[in-house]
Order: sequence, then structure tokens, then C-alpha cells
Amino acid sequence: MNRYKLVHVTQFSYDGIVTESYNELRLRPRHDESQSCLSFRVTTNPAAKAVGHQDYFGNWVHQFHILPEHRKLRVETEAVVLMHPVAEKPVSAMTLTELDVMRDDLADEHFDWLVASAYCPFVPAILDLAADAERACDGTVHGFVQTASSLIHARFRYQQGATHVHSSVEDCLETQAGVCQDFSHLLLAIVRSRGIPARYVSGYLVPRQGNDERAAMERVIGGLASHAWVQVFIPETGWIGLDPTSGEYVDAQHIRIAYGRDYGDVPPVRGVYKGHAGQSLAVDVHVRPAVDDEGAELLLETSATPPLDPEEEQHAQQQQQQQ
Amino acid sequence: MSSPSQAIIAINIPPEFGGRPLFEGYDPGTFYDESIAPDGKPRPEAAAMHEILAGMPLDVFEERRQLADLSYLVQGITFTVYSDGRGTERLFPFDLVPRIIPRHEWDVIEKGLAQRVMALNFYLQDIYGKQRILRDKIIPRQLVQSCKHFRREMMGLNVPRDIYVHIAGIDLVRDSRTGEYLVLEDNARSPSGISYVLENRLVMRRTFARAFEVSEVMPVDHYPNELGRILRSLSPRSGDRPVVVLLTPGLYNSAYFEHCFLAQEMGIELVEGRDLVVVDDVVYMKTIHGLTRVDVIYRRVDDDFLDPLAFRADSLVGVPGLMNAYRAGNIALANAVGTGVADDKAIYAFVPDFIRYYLGEEPILKNVDTYLCSRPDHLSYVLDHLGELVVKAVGESGGYGMLMGPSSDKKTIEDFRVRLKADPRNYIAQPVIPLSRCPSFDPATGTMSARHIDLRPYCLYDGEKVTIVPGGLTRVALQKGSLVVNSSQGGGSKDTWVLRGDGGQEA
Repeated sequence: MNRYKLVHVTQFSYDGIVTESYNELRLRPRHDESQSCLSFRVTTNPAAKAVGHQDYFGNWVHQFHILPEHRKLRVETEAVVLMHPVAEKPVSAMTLTELDVMRDDLADEHFDWLVASAYCPFVPAILDLAADAERACDGTVHGFVQTASSLIHARFRYQQGATHVHSSVEDCLETQAGVCQDFSHLLLAIVRSRGIPARYVSGYLVPRQGNDERAAMERVIGGLASHAWVQVFIPETGWIGLDPTSGEYVDAQHIRIAYGRDYGDVPPVRGVYKGHAGQSLAVDVHVRPAVDDEGAELLLETSATPPLDPEEEQHAQQQQQQQ
Repeated sequence: MSSPSQAIIAINIPPEFGGRPLFEGYDPGTFYDESIAPDGKPRPEAAAMHEILAGMPLDVFEERRQLADLSYLVQGITFTVYSDGRGTERLFPFDLVPRIIPRHEWDVIEKGLAQRVMALNFYLQDIYGKQRILRDKIIPRQLVQSCKHFRREMMGLNVPRDIYVHIAGIDLVRDSRTGEYLVLEDNARSPSGISYVLENRLVMRRTFARAFEVSEVMPVDHYPNELGRILRSLSPRSGDRPVVVLLTPGLYNSAYFEHCFLAQEMGIELVEGRDLVVVDDVVYMKTIHGLTRVDVIYRRVDDDFLDPLAFRADSLVGVPGLMNAYRAGNIALANAVGTGVADDKAIYAFVPDFIRYYLGEEPILKNVDTYLCSRPDHLSYVLDHLGELVVKAVGESGGYGMLMGPSSDKKTIEDFRVRLKADPRNYIAQPVIPLSRCPSFDPATGTMSARHIDLRPYCLYDGEKVTIVPGGLTRVALQKGSLVVNSSQGGGSKDTWVLRGDGGQEA
């Protein structure tokens, strides 16, 4: 069973009438050597035509607009994804000292994945965590990133609502709590500050069936199938996934949608509209195995509708730097 | 008490101005003087004008000066100084003594600028395309990717006719030590100031009509026509009547006057973001007759604010969906999005290399030596010599975020030391260039004094050739001894004359 159908519903309800709504979706799963996106469909209400293109990072972006007055917007995407078995990658024994010698070459090749970003600044607390991870690890690059990921899992508490969608690592460092997005940002900041290329991955986590302990954990931890984790580039190995939320390996249950420097590059839905109305948002994600290889239909659904903070109202901005 | 309206029309000549000669006690000093040669005689190109001014009594000059100021005031030719508590709009001080460039000098400048603008365009096309120059390691990839204005959204996007920079303002200075013109910085986003060039000429023609009879000054008034021609040629739609608009951020922008002026001169609509709407990747203008399709936007809105969907979501001066229309090839933008990766002040240091790389030519106009603070060896030199250098923030313009070492107090220098150490990539440093000077009227003393100047010519590129209106904006540092000429930092301007010949003989 490695074929999944993903239904992702986003509903906006506005307090009043809005018009000229322009939106971008980053919800189409990536299509590459380890996962195939077999189909993808966008349906909106009010109805609109979604047009796709690929962004700088190779992610699929679907954009649509709704000009007439409306009070609600519903966006439904449906994707069918085939996950390929993950081949074990030979683990590189490269040490952090050896990595330091390559610093310039890495920066040339992976610039975007190495610098601090809006959500992932290299604040002193991050540098402290990096130092802790370096002391605790076996001195290899692989060991360092694993240790950093486990360290986040051990020291930070999973708590919905501890942070919000625009939180940088600083909020999470202060409260010692957060969600997958925050933990991913923490790990990114730590490994990048140590000179290791890393990227943010947005995607879905397919809950396992059965009674194994991990599955039970995931229902709690990843109540929402929308998930975020990290990929780290290790020379001689390539990109490997790390999930600081679960502290476990990333495997064929992790369906990748988009790569970015941080959340800011890959929000699932991004848009602007005209109108003075505030908005509230509800998200509902269903993941279920599509018909499996034996032809049996095994259904497993997760669903969650967490209330999210209303987006800040747009405010006037006319100041510009002119040359 | 006089009412404000009376104050506007009053011409007050201080009685002590009497009939004193204007150039009494004029000292060209040790700097290169654009009017007076080291032997104390007027330079050939400036001789005719100098004769007129030298023979003019102070009270007559003062009257003309006040009349000139008045014409700017009644026309509302103003600019805005940000973060200045004294109100937003100000007159741009105009100095009546023209800066005169002989033809043989202009020919060199013109060739040098054309070469530079071509190279900047090839560079942008390359950076947002195949990135040959990065693979060939002519410029470090890190430096390009770390530019604040590098727009990842532009990668692989085909811009109409492959032109990125249609309009460039390249700042030149003359080094007093060598008499050579040097490029001080490139402005490849939306350089402002051309309206002053055109207005200054109009005012000078009225004020010094006789001077134009004795000197053959090359005209500048074809600029709006030439710009309009280029803009129309960019239309992605066939048909001979493309719709071109000028997009302004609105009246709080420092160059709002210029936006109105240029739109009027070119006979195109002046629009704000809210006047445009994108439907199915096509841009329309909302008019009383319904929607009119727009083909070309001369945009004076910075990238960050251009499309709230693609860039800053809090921008209310942009057009949501504009980048989608741009990507679909349904609209032309001048300048293209992302040109800031060419005029970043750290990239500037590599422009001579671009000229060699893309054109296979030696640069005609040299750069000012530049220290990149991102390089550890340069940074340590800069930190050791802060008191003698000019430090500039790389992504800023208009003289904001700048340290003038020799004229700064200890505290300011130490502040910059901290900033440089915290974010070295954001700064460059250059030696202080002893800028040439030009006689300028000092209303405080009622005499001519030598003041430092620079020159911003405006270059237009149509995809085949670069057209430059002869001259450009000469900015003058009105404060005695000051080397900062930016209008936002209290500078003024002069009319710039390029003579059809070299002056002297034919006068």
C-alpha cells in the first residue's frame, strides 16, 4: 500500500463582503524519483480556473483569482501520489572538520540553503543549541544533524497554539514549545549555522495503521496530516530527511509538497483580497490509501479543523524608497 | 504681515547687493574647476557664458534667480525628503550657473555609458537565464544570490525583447586629480530626476536667452518622445496603438511630480495600483468606459511593492497578479523586475568585468576603487580606515545609509563600525574622490563660490542601441566643502550643457 489520495480543503469565511481575491496554492505534491504525483485537481467555490507554474525551487504553484463579491472561499485540492520504496542511503562518515574545509564550495552550490532567513535567524540561543549538539554528537556531519534533531524533540514541547504561523524561531525558543513548523525552523537554523545546507519541506504525514506505538504518537503529534520537516545535505550522501517533531527518520509516509528556505517560501495558501472584512480559516486534510496493490480498499482517514488566528488586516503602505 | 500668496510673488533684492561683480574674489581652489582653467582664465567651452555672467551686476542676477525659483514654485516642482519633520515637499534648489561640457568630452562619456548599459543588460539576461557568468566564475555566486534585489521569481521568465534595463541613470564624477570622469554608481531600477533636466533647461532658456544665442547647446527636450517610442515598442500585442501607462505609488512618493510630468509629456495615463486589475493574466485599466487592456507599464513602483501576491503582501500600491501576467507574457514592464541585482553597490565593483566578459571590450569609463566588506581582507582595511573612506549600504540609494568618513564625528564612525561588523555583506567602501567644482551662486554672500558637482546622465535602451540625451542632471552640493550631492541630502541642481562643438572658436 503505497498509493495515497489526499484531499485538502481550505475554507475562508469573511466577516463582510470581499472582492478581487488573488491566491497562490502550493499544494501539489512534488514529482520526482522517490514519489510520483499521478493526478492533481483544484476546485474552488466560487468557481475559478487555477493555472500552474513552477517556482524557483521547482515547487508547483497554482494561482487563481475571484473578482466578484463573495463572503466565503472554499479551496479543495485532490492529489493521488505513488510513493516509491526508500532505498537506504549509505551513511557518510564525513566529519564536521572535513566539512569546514568545503565551506566555500558548499556556499557556492547551496547558498539559499545555508544562510539565515526571516524565520531562521542565527540568534545566540541557536548557536548555543548548535554547540550542545556538536558536543553530544560523534563528530560526523550525519551524527551532528541526528543529534540536533533529537535534541529538539527532547527539549521542546509539542503544543498547538504556542506559536502562530508567522512565528520565527525566537518565539519557540522563548516558550520552549511549538508545532512541526517551529521545530523545523529550529533545526534549519541550527544546522545552517554550523555550515550544513538544509531546506524546509512542507508536506503530508500519512498516519500508520495498526497499533504500533508510533502510530498512536502520531495521532497525537501530527493530528493534522499537514506536516513540515527538514532535509539536510550531507556531502557524499546527498539530501536526507529529518523529522524533529517525531525525532524519527523520514520515510515513505512523508509525502513532500514543496521545498523552501523556510515556511515563508512555501505557504500552502497565500493570497490578498479587497475589503475591510476580517477572516477566519479552517483547514481539513484527509489522507487515505488509494486502492492498494492487491485491489483491496483500505481506508484510513484523519481529519482536524483547528481554528487559526485571523490574518492581520492589510494596512496602507505608501512609503517607498526611490532612487 | 504678508500673506503667503503675497510672499510667493515678492522679489526682494537685498540693498547691499547693488552692482557688485558676481565673480569678485572667486577662488577656483585646488580642485578641478569646470569653468575656470588653472591659469585663471575661463575654459574655452565656458568662456561665452562666463563673459555674460561676469558682466552682470549682482542685482540683475539676483532678480533672475528669484524669478527662476518662482517658476519652480508656481509649477509645483518639488521632491520629498523622507523622515524630515519639516513637511514632505520641498523645492529642489536650482543654481543658475550651467555646467558646460565640450563635445569631445561628451563623445567619450556617451560611448562609455552606452557600453555600460549594454553590459548591464547582458548581465541581467544571463543571471536570470543560463548564469554563464557564474559558472565561469567572473563574479562569485554568493555575491549575486545575496543581493537584496535578486528576484528568484524572475528566473527563466522571458521579458519582452530581452530588455531588462530600459532606463538607467549612471552617476558620474570628475576626479580633480586626473580630470577623468569616473562611474560612481549605477541606477538600474527607477532612476528619477529627468524631469529636472527638462525643467531646468526651460527655465534657463527663459532666464538666459542670450546665452543660448552665443553657445550652441544640444537639446534635451526629445527625451519624453524617445522614452515613449521605446515603451510602445515593448508591447507584447501586435497592433499599432499599444496602451502604455505610468504606474506611480501615489502622491506621497518623492518623485510624484516627475511621474505626473512624464505621463503628461508622453501623453499616457498616470495610474495607481488600484486603477489596474488583472483578469486571466491580462492587465486592464479601470476607466469610465469599462476595462481597457494595458500593454506596457512604465512602473515607478519598486519591486517589493509591485505585486502583493508575489512580493510584499502589505503593499497597497501594487497590482495583485501582475507577476502572473508578466510571466504569461501579456504585459511589458519598464524597467523589468529584478534589475536591482545589477545596481547593488557590491555588484558595481564587477561591472568593468561584465564589460570585458560580455562585450570583449575594455571599459571606457572607469569605476571608483571599491572595497567589498564581504571580503575579510577588504573589511579589515575598511575598519582600519573608516575616517578616510565613504561607506555605503549596498541596497540603498539616494544617499541614505551612508558614512562620509572625513566629515563624520567619532560617534557616527563607531556606529558604522558596529554595523559593518554585524553585516559586512551590506556595505562597500570607497576612497573619497575630490569631485570637480563649478561656480555656483551663494545667496548668503551674494557672490559666486566653487561647489562640488556630479552628473547623472539618463540612458535609454531599445534593445539595439543606447540613446542618451546630451548632458543629464548636474547635482551640486550647495553646502561649502560638502561632497554629498543627493537631492535627499540637501543638494541642488544645475542645467547641463553639452556644446555642439568644443566652445571657444565658434563663440
